[in-house]
Amino acid sequence: MNPIQVQREKTRSWTTRRDAKRKRKDGLSGITDGKVIPTESIVDVLETLIKPGDRVVLEGDNQKQASFLSQALSSVNPEKVKRLHMIMSSVSRPEHLDLFEKNIAERVDFAFSGPQSLRVAQMLEDEKLTIGGIHTYIELYGRLFIDLIPKVALVAADKADSQGNLYTGANTEETPTLVEAAAFRDGIVIAQVNDITKELPRVDIPGSWVDYIVEADKPYQLEPLFTRDPRHISEIQILMAMMTIRGVYEKHKVQSLNHGIGFNTAAIELLLPTFAEKLGLKGEICKHWALNPHPSLIPAIESGWIESIHCFGGEVGMEKYIEARPDVFFTGPDGSLRSNRTLSQLAGQYAVDLFVGSTLQMDRDGNSSTVTSGRLAGFGGAPNMGHDPGGRRHSTPAWLNMINSDDPLARGKKLVVQMVETFQSGNQPVFVESLDAVEVGKEAKLDTAPVMIYGSDVTHLVTEEGIAYLYKTDSMEEKRAAIASVAGVTPIGLERNAKRAEQLRRDGIIALPEDLKIRRTDAKRSLLAAKSVEELVDWSGGLYEPPAKFRSW
Amino acid sequence: MSIAFLCPGQGSQQPGMLHRLPDHPQVQKTMNDAEDLLKKDVFSLDTEKEFQSTTAVQISLFLWSIAMYRVFRAEGVKPDMAAGHSVGAFSAAVIVEALSFKEALKLVRKRGKWMEEEHPSGYGMGVVTGLSYNQLKRLLKEHDSNKTVYIANLNADDQFTISGSQTALDVFLKSASNEGARKAELLNVTVPSHCELMRDVTKKMRQALNEISFSRPKIPYAGNAIARAFLDAERIREDLAESISKPVRWNETVHLYYERGARLFVELSPQAVLSDLVNKTFPEARAISVSNGLENCLFLLERYNRKS
Repeated sequence: MNPIQVQREKTRSWTTRRDAKRKRKDGLSGITDGKVIPTESIVDVLETLIKPGDRVVLEGDNQKQASFLSQALSSVNPEKVKRLHMIMSSVSRPEHLDLFEKNIAERVDFAFSGPQSLRVAQMLEDEKLTIGGIHTYIELYGRLFIDLIPKVALVAADKADSQGNLYTGANTEETPTLVEAAAFRDGIVIAQVNDITKELPRVDIPGSWVDYIVEADKPYQLEPLFTRDPRHISEIQILMAMMTIRGVYEKHKVQSLNHGIGFNTAAIELLLPTFAEKLGLKGEICKHWALNPHPSLIPAIESGWIESIHCFGGEVGMEKYIEARPDVFFTGPDGSLRSNRTLSQLAGQYAVDLFVGSTLQMDRDGNSSTVTSGRLAGFGGAPNMGHDPGGRRHSTPAWLNMINSDDPLARGKKLVVQMVETFQSGNQPVFVESLDAVEVGKEAKLDTAPVMIYGSDVTHLVTEEGIAYLYKTDSMEEKRAAIASVAGVTPIGLERNAKRAEQLRRDGIIALPEDLKIRRTDAKRSLLAAKSVEELVDWSGGLYEPPAKFRSW
Repeated sequence: MSIAFLCPGQGSQQPGMLHRLPDHPQVQKTMNDAEDLLKKDVFSLDTEKEFQSTTAVQISLFLWSIAMYRVFRAEGVKPDMAAGHSVGAFSAAVIVEALSFKEALKLVRKRGKWMEEEHPSGYGMGVVTGLSYNQLKRLLKEHDSNKTVYIANLNADDQFTISGSQTALDVFLKSASNEGARKAELLNVTVPSHCELMRDVTKKMRQALNEISFSRPKIPYAGNAIARAFLDAERIREDLAESISKPVRWNETVHLYYERGARLFVELSPQAVLSDLVNKTFPEARAISVSNGLENCLFLLERYNRKS
């Protein structure tokens, strides 16, 4: 036997990361001897702590932004701080891309860039940046712990004490995840805070995970992204919502779910206390939610429909209402909401029965994308929610209901519902021969076309024409026929064969409103539990305080 | 949150427009400077008859924008970025301080003259709305197989202008109408701008531009031919020549400035064509044309500055 010769690396240090961090922090001795950085020194501090080529995670999702730190980072001297590899859930603010124009950063990994999608595409074309990958939220968070571990994390919190304990409150969102990835592998954590106070309402992130805090010159940017004014809900959207409630939620006994952003889903939320209540569905469906605190859910909550809601983030104006409804929302001992984007994304992926989303384009196989020509946006969380996680084991009635075979090993499926009108505004057909995403993927030299939700994951398609029960189809040909049957007068819809559609209807693969006992003429705005933001405020007993842009009265 | 100034191109002229500029010392000064340089009464330029000539139109629009820009400067308003549509790009080049007023005015006069001489008659432009870019391209492929009609302006997702000979335009606009365009009609423009037919004018303009000096711009200038924000004098010089024979990518320009943080767009124009486009596209932004009244603009700018 030949024993393996193990050459121990006697000379190797096993603490290089820790030593490097200490050395960087020593460089700050002239500026601070504790954790508090003076506001006006932030640019100096970043120039000292961040080294060329560092991987830097900068907090910013579609709602909350570490805006003071992003501005400071874009003001550093590009001679000192350069070639950074940025990791950002969302590329949202103008200075996020100024970093690349100024040659401070050169590479980016992200999940969503909707607000900067033209510039991202242009700068990629101009070779002003390189893209590591366009991820889903969960993927990006996952990689922070594997091969994209940050050297520096720049995050935002509401309040801090001088020990660096952070209160992130309703807008905790992704902060704990970003901090954890840096803090426990000798990265440096810098938090901008709106206030430094003696007492915190509660500690969301312990001070020992945080290296520095800095009071920002103004509060971090926060967008009310999930507020939909019921005034803008159309009768077609109400019709589609009625069909979804009857033909999907009731049919499959959907108890736990996630709704995307949009007027379609807002319509469903506002029909629960009226239309669905009349059907006797209260307590049978829609009890548990992974959802941002949508104001349009207030009437359903007030009517006793909702048992629990776990939130990705907060929603501006909903703070007081949430504090007064701790039986429904996750709240801390101080009373305020605790959100967590990572955990809610995971819950929405694995623990709920159903996801409803919408799209700008769908091809004949049911693949969908919101990508349009010349833009590069990513999809954030939609692909996390909008797929069937194959590893799931626990069963629920809705999940089991998707079994469509006698196979003894058959398993259920998550319900992935796409809800679209056949034409977008501007008379553009939603159902198309080929997704723009295919061309965009080629132009941007992406490894795969930027598809938001794959046709293979979609179980239901709801349009103003009817519902296609795609999970029931047993061939691609049948699936295409089902999609075409509800695709209206779009190019795909015109391929429909009337006889075939009638057969699909008899087989229960498509359902028209009348098959669900819904009269098109019944789809009236008077069915909505609230028809305006003002009425939402009334439902909340004055606790909901909508942001100025939603106050029209 | 930033302020962008937008300068219009042909189509935004109005007879009598120079006479309706506000009574302000900066307006007077601009007109005097122009008269010294052009050696003619500029207030004779803006009649319906004079506007048959693209040169008079281009000079009038340029002077209008610059006069108003100077008024805003005198009132303490400075933009964070500027963009001009077609000949408006020369106004933008002055606003970003890459080009002097005098040099720009001389170039605008040459631009108009050369464009007129290139195709004195039989050519023009049309507008097509209600079709997407891809739909329009497909239609051109199907109904203009000789490739004599060109896309000249990409103004919005569903609004385009096209250039070519009158006969080719007539035929194509009819097809576009039949194929579902909301609007497909001829414009009152006598030159086929922003296409290959203007290649020689681009050459002449490039030569003229090479003979004058540019400064480094103080704020971004948006390219017409390549929709990028330029902070480089050479890129601006190239764009002012190249764009004469290339489509104006205005839709991208406006998106680009929105993404760069512009939330208040001020159109230095006797009409509100460009600001209407912004308001239609971006509910979160605010766009206003000086044609809505100088006082209204100043009020909005002041309120905006206080807010941001």
